[in-house]
Amino acid sequence: METYVDAIGAGDTAATTTTSGAGDTAAKMMETATAAKPIKKKLKVMVAIDESKNSFYALEWAVEHLRDVISAEPETNQEGGLLTLVHVHPTYLQYIYPTGGTDSVPESMRKAREENTTKLFTRALEICRGKMVKTETMIIEGDAKEMICQAVEQTHVDLLVVGSRGLGMIKRALLGSVSDYCAQHAKCPILIVRPPKETSTSKQ
Amino acid sequence: MEEIKERKIVVAVDESEESMEALSWSLDNLFPIGSNNTLTLLYVKPPLPVYSSLDAAGFIVAGDPVAALEKYEHELVESVMARSRTVYQDFESDINIERRVGRGDAKEVICNAVEKLRADMLVMGTHDYGFFKRALLGSVSQYCAKRVKCPVVIVKKQPQNI
Repeated sequence: METYVDAIGAGDTAATTTTSGAGDTAAKMMETATAAKPIKKKLKVMVAIDESKNSFYALEWAVEHLRDVISAEPETNQEGGLLTLVHVHPTYLQYIYPTGGTDSVPESMRKAREENTTKLFTRALEICRGKMVKTETMIIEGDAKEMICQAVEQTHVDLLVVGSRGLGMIKRALLGSVSDYCAQHAKCPILIVRPPKETSTSKQ
Repeated sequence: MEEIKERKIVVAVDESEESMEALSWSLDNLFPIGSNNTLTLLYVKPPLPVYSSLDAAGFIVAGDPVAALEKYEHELVESVMARSRTVYQDFESDINIERRVGRGDAKEVICNAVEKLRADMLVMGTHDYGFFKRALLGSVSQYCAKRVKCPVVIVKKQPQNI
């Protein structure tokens, strides 16, 4: 599993930390102030994203509603919380070697995948921009559900946010649901954001 | 300028330790200063078994078991509410706290209540069953996470090494 992390600070109070090592050292540096009663501790939140719309909706919801608990308040001079975006690649692409092809085909596949990921993160960071939240990104390879839970353990986040694909019962049993697995195995509280149903009457 | 959004957060409580943890977690984290959120505590009583008085031939004192059961239930509700009160009493001045009690099958009552109350968020603890217990008993938190339309937070027992 390879992890590479870009740390991007958003907002004027954030300092940009550049790390070339594993993602957990960066997160551990964000020591939040210990909680005295009136001062609440700021949260470290991790949001799992992929190409699906639901995960972006989850990200938007998280930024919108958790902004109060994550963002730094310049007046109280408190350390802000941290928002980590994590994306997991499935590794199957590595095993596809065309017969008689040169090495360039896996290369180009890998490049295409990286482009994809970059586009993904650009979209995600657009959403986080301007919200006064320190944002970090993490890219992991492997099986999505296990890697997310591992990432949660390593970075000691306070909350994991996932979208839900809204699979029915049978699909869920066959394909396995990442949000279900994480709800059972992640070591921190998990927030599952369901997409708004377009067909039902909305309350707003 | 930040608009103060008013949000309704429902926390499902029962007799377990985990739901008290879920309650204290949500009080710690979901109510930053200056927000205008409402916390609704929802406790679901298990359905009262119905004793038909027609075949109560075996019960000579037919009235008493039912009364005793009701009293037990009432005490259970009181104890759960008292426990939650110790958790949220520090926050009582800042947040509006409502308490509701439902009766019936926990997962369905929670889902219905969330819809009826138009909650913005649901917080629950989890019994943390293993694989087999979960397959047999079913998980309330998973059922609700699938059914409700609003985001759900599932709070587990925190490993105490942070």
